[in-house]
Amino acid sequence: MPIVQPGKRPAKRFEKSRVLGGKMMKGRKSTNSELNVVSMVDMMTMLVIFLLQQFSATGEVLFMQKDIKLPDAAHGQAIDVAPVVAISVAQVVVTGQKVADVADLDKDAGYLNIPVLEERLRDEKKRWDYIHQNDPDREKNWKGDVNIQADVKVPFRLVKRVMFSCAAAGYFNVNLATLDEANTRAFAATAR
Amino acid sequence: MGGGGMPEQGGGHGRKKKALDAVINVVPAIDLLSCCIAFLLFTAVWTQISRLQVQSMGAGGPPPTAEQQKQLQITLSLTERGLVLSTSAGTSIDIPSAGRSPDGAPIYDVKALATRLKQIKTEYPDQSAITVAAEDAVLYADLVKVIDTCIGAGLAAVAVTAAG
Repeated sequence: MPIVQPGKRPAKRFEKSRVLGGKMMKGRKSTNSELNVVSMVDMMTMLVIFLLQQFSATGEVLFMQKDIKLPDAAHGQAIDVAPVVAISVAQVVVTGQKVADVADLDKDAGYLNIPVLEERLRDEKKRWDYIHQNDPDREKNWKGDVNIQADVKVPFRLVKRVMFSCAAAGYFNVNLATLDEANTRAFAATAR
Repeated sequence: MGGGGMPEQGGGHGRKKKALDAVINVVPAIDLLSCCIAFLLFTAVWTQISRLQVQSMGAGGPPPTAEQQKQLQITLSLTERGLVLSTSAGTSIDIPSAGRSPDGAPIYDVKALATRLKQIKTEYPDQSAITVAAEDAVLYADLVKVIDTCIGAGLAAVAVTAAG
């Protein structure tokens, strides 16, 4: 069906009629009006520019969790994709799966490693090895990166055990997750 | 500009000239922008998370090379009383804590630490390694603050270990 101009459209049988066909209404105001969309295009362009600035090609490597408040840091680098060990004041989670309760870890404080965590990370490394099995420089390309996402109130005795377990599983390059201080300040200023 | 001025019809000698203004169809542009906005809104990352890279000292880590062993060893200890900055050259500097937080944790004087680290960096410009040794009770926030200060002072190769 073709798009027609809005307006009064008489029935076919009245089309020829002078009175009912609307032919006497020549001086009347037209019912169609043009919308000025230029301002809307301007606004959309601004939105696109703002969102493009926010765009990150790597996506969200770490997901913010309610029970984990990250500290701020001014000299952080862009985060890379790597296994994530999340430490809250209650539990230790590896890539979404709980591996230990902090209360249980405090009971066996004499040990340095966390066996379940170590096992999980070894599995992750095996998976990486399997994916890169045809790569001749596999050993060289192994960086051993792991992201630790810990709450500000977590004590070092817990972080130490997690780091030890990571190192024992082959992940000796530890990335401590932080919030970008400049970005946090900008958001706070905007909120004010 | 929303309502652009209409171009004037020059001449005016009675001859009817072709109109110079043209209507641009902005509907495809709006469609494209709408798609862009929808896509960017879905993929937008609102929280900018960064990382501080540290080496885990102890099991699994690569052993220090001979060159690293020859370099000056700087150790920064985070203790209950404050910070202790010591070097293999025999220097030991105490930076007492600037007070206590309401939960009893020490507030480390990171400004004084930054000044000391900058002095060391000026004395040894090639130095980039530092070992941060923390006590068990040190909070993650304090550890990150200290590591951030070290990186800010130019000592980017930070290794973390347990104190004592």
